[in-house]
Amino acid sequence: MSTPQTQSIPPHVPAHLVVDFDLFEVTPELRDPFDKWQALLDTGAPPIFWTPRNGGHWTFLKYDDIREAYRNHETFSNRHQSIPRTEPWPLLQPNGVDPPEHSKFRNLLVPLFTPAAVSLMQAEVRRRTRMLIDAFADRGECDFVADFSGKLPTGMFIHLMGMDEGRLSEFIALADFFMRVEDPVAKARNVGEIYGVLGEFFRHKEHHLGNDIASLLLRARDTAGSGVTQQEVIDCTFLLFVAGLDTVTSTMNFIWRHLAAVPATRREIAGYLEQPDKLSRTLEELFRVYAVSNIYRRVKKDTVYKGIQMKADDMVVLPDNLANRDPAVFDRPAELDLTRKVNPHLTFGLGVHRCLGSHLAKLEVATALQEWLPRIADFRIDTAIPVKIYAGPVMGFRALPLRWDARA
Amino acid sequence: MKVVANLALCQGHARCAAVCPQVFGTDAQFGKVVVLLDPVPAELQEQARLAVHNCPEGALRVSKDSRSFP
Repeated sequence: MSTPQTQSIPPHVPAHLVVDFDLFEVTPELRDPFDKWQALLDTGAPPIFWTPRNGGHWTFLKYDDIREAYRNHETFSNRHQSIPRTEPWPLLQPNGVDPPEHSKFRNLLVPLFTPAAVSLMQAEVRRRTRMLIDAFADRGECDFVADFSGKLPTGMFIHLMGMDEGRLSEFIALADFFMRVEDPVAKARNVGEIYGVLGEFFRHKEHHLGNDIASLLLRARDTAGSGVTQQEVIDCTFLLFVAGLDTVTSTMNFIWRHLAAVPATRREIAGYLEQPDKLSRTLEELFRVYAVSNIYRRVKKDTVYKGIQMKADDMVVLPDNLANRDPAVFDRPAELDLTRKVNPHLTFGLGVHRCLGSHLAKLEVATALQEWLPRIADFRIDTAIPVKIYAGPVMGFRALPLRWDARA
Repeated sequence: MKVVANLALCQGHARCAAVCPQVFGTDAQFGKVVVLLDPVPAELQEQARLAVHNCPEGALRVSKDSRSFP
């Protein structure tokens, strides 16, 4: 059953650091994708280990090592992050390049996603959130993924990019496939399809510039001395397309699953939705516990890290969820503590590639809570419907059937 | 007490501004930390220290108090 692509152990990897761990595997008994990571700790996996699965890669389990990989871009590069290796692979600006090259696009985009800039998106996020909830609030049931969490971030992305709203479902399907597919050939084809859609979009946008991110990138391309090329503009859009949609969707799925299961928590949060300090602390704790991303890095040059020899082009996986549950950093790490005071979680990464959209992600989740809980205060999971979960670079589940008593 | 920001380390998480908005803000263009109160008044010192400890980058420190440097 579980014989995905393996390869022999490279000679520089010592046998005592080898663990048979498949990043993507979902066994029938697995109920929660986080459990497969916790199992690594429970079975005493070395804090830095090599698995031969999926082309072979390292995995870091400790907060300090994951933090170091994020910070030390001289050793742990963002170039060509694919597991298993996929060819050809797009050079995703700015996430897929290292400093100093990375600042060209990063500096273009950062001003669009600062707290000040994101606060101006509040009304639009709220409008979209209400519209989505309006569609099912009186029905007494929804599939949270299909009806809400899958649509809010993607809809905002399309709005910010200046894309055609009519193609929302097509874009969701393409981005979803990108995150879920393991077969390198199918992945390469999917990448080609996304590029096709983006190429067509930019051919149109070229003649219809507006107040959106795509137009900003095109204007940068046409600015003398910017060094921004047409290909880079498309690559950058590709990145925004796949980076900011799935992760927010999945995080909301975990949060709403939690709220559906724990009435006391949803009532508590409902009591301070308009108190920014309490709501912010709660959000950070939810983001800590439900860190859905397993981030990839590539070893840039032969190196010895913590006495372990690593070779150029070795891949490294950084599970944010384990960093965030490291008892060396977090008090009672397994516990969701909505009043947690010290919480330097790594859910948005850190260093030069810190998640560009983190403030928008927080705004979307905060607004969703503010709009949802007063209208649908009590809700439950319909356990009669089996839910398929997935692992990999972003973890989650494909559906979340919710039920509540609709107002007569 | 004063807080010192290392802008080379700050990546604009804005965790400090969320924890203690009276002392920390963010600049409009790049979203990096701006220390608003220097020195930090007594009644805000505890909250400012918490903000320092919540910075995942370790970009903030409290001066004249080495215990607070993460």
